[in-house]
Amino acid sequence: MDNLIIEGTRQTPEINFDVESGILKLEGRSIPENTFEFFTPVLNWLDAYVNSSPDKIVAKINLEYFNTSSSKYILEILKKLKVFKVEGTEVLVEWYYEEDDEEMMETGEDYEDVSGLPFEIISFEEE
Amino acid sequence: MNTYEKFRKLMDNHIMLSFKGEITSDIITMVLQIMETRLDSVSEKGNVKKKIFNVLVECMQNLYHHSEAEEPGNIDTRRAMLELFYDNDFYYILTGNYIKNDAIAALRDRIDRVNSLSKEDLRRYYREILDNNIISDKGGADLGMIDMARKSGQKLFYQFHDVNDSLSFFELRVKVAKNKPKLDK
Repeated sequence: MDNLIIEGTRQTPEINFDVESGILKLEGRSIPENTFEFFTPVLNWLDAYVNSSPDKIVAKINLEYFNTSSSKYILEILKKLKVFKVEGTEVLVEWYYEEDDEEMMETGEDYEDVSGLPFEIISFEEE
Repeated sequence: MNTYEKFRKLMDNHIMLSFKGEITSDIITMVLQIMETRLDSVSEKGNVKKKIFNVLVECMQNLYHHSEAEEPGNIDTRRAMLELFYDNDFYYILTGNYIKNDAIAALRDRIDRVNSLSKEDLRRYYREILDNNIISDKGGADLGMIDMARKSGQKLFYQFHDVNDSLSFFELRVKVAKNKPKLDK
């Protein structure tokens, strides 16, 4: 199957899901009005990827901003990752936030709690 | 009021942006672009800038999805307003849009509930809604109010203004505290 690569825009995040390495990157901002349109192909890709039974996947989520309609879809992505885990794949979520962005850190903890997946919450310095 | 008085009023009230009209996708993109630049130039710390930007995104999302038309059935009359201004202590994001009278009670309840919760309870409520709500075609609108209260760290001020038998005008005001210079201890 093909890697999933979607370029980022001012409204939508950059997606780089790599079949071979199992690294799933989600970066930038996610504030489109129509989240359904953007996230449906992403979720479909993950559905197909489960069949490849990768040994390990690492989701690297590094978002600057996202709206609440995107927040539902981020949870959907995490729920899909749970399916991998059930199927025997080792799953890790790396949640990145800018040092002073306490809300983004808390949101990471919220997702860790709700999804029940192993999270690493990682801060980085502002550029 | 003559033009100069109008200009003075805009200046004295520290209005950073004022818009009325239909909130389209293009308008949202444009407003966010302008505000990002403006917030950069007032050199607010990243943190405050992010809070304002987050609230603004959510407010416009609400206007985009939930504004009712002023003339029933005429979608070209989904007019709304958005204003950003500040005083010594806060930034304010003010929105106004038409709402059907029969939708008022539910909205009022939702905001009152959000306003009644402590920071921790708000977080618990957020997790609960995030986990349990199915995705609607308008996205996670229920989360919007909770998110704005969390991000702003302030109570949400609202008011419904009478318009006619079927419509009211919904005013929502969200404030974000400015950075205070740290005092030496």
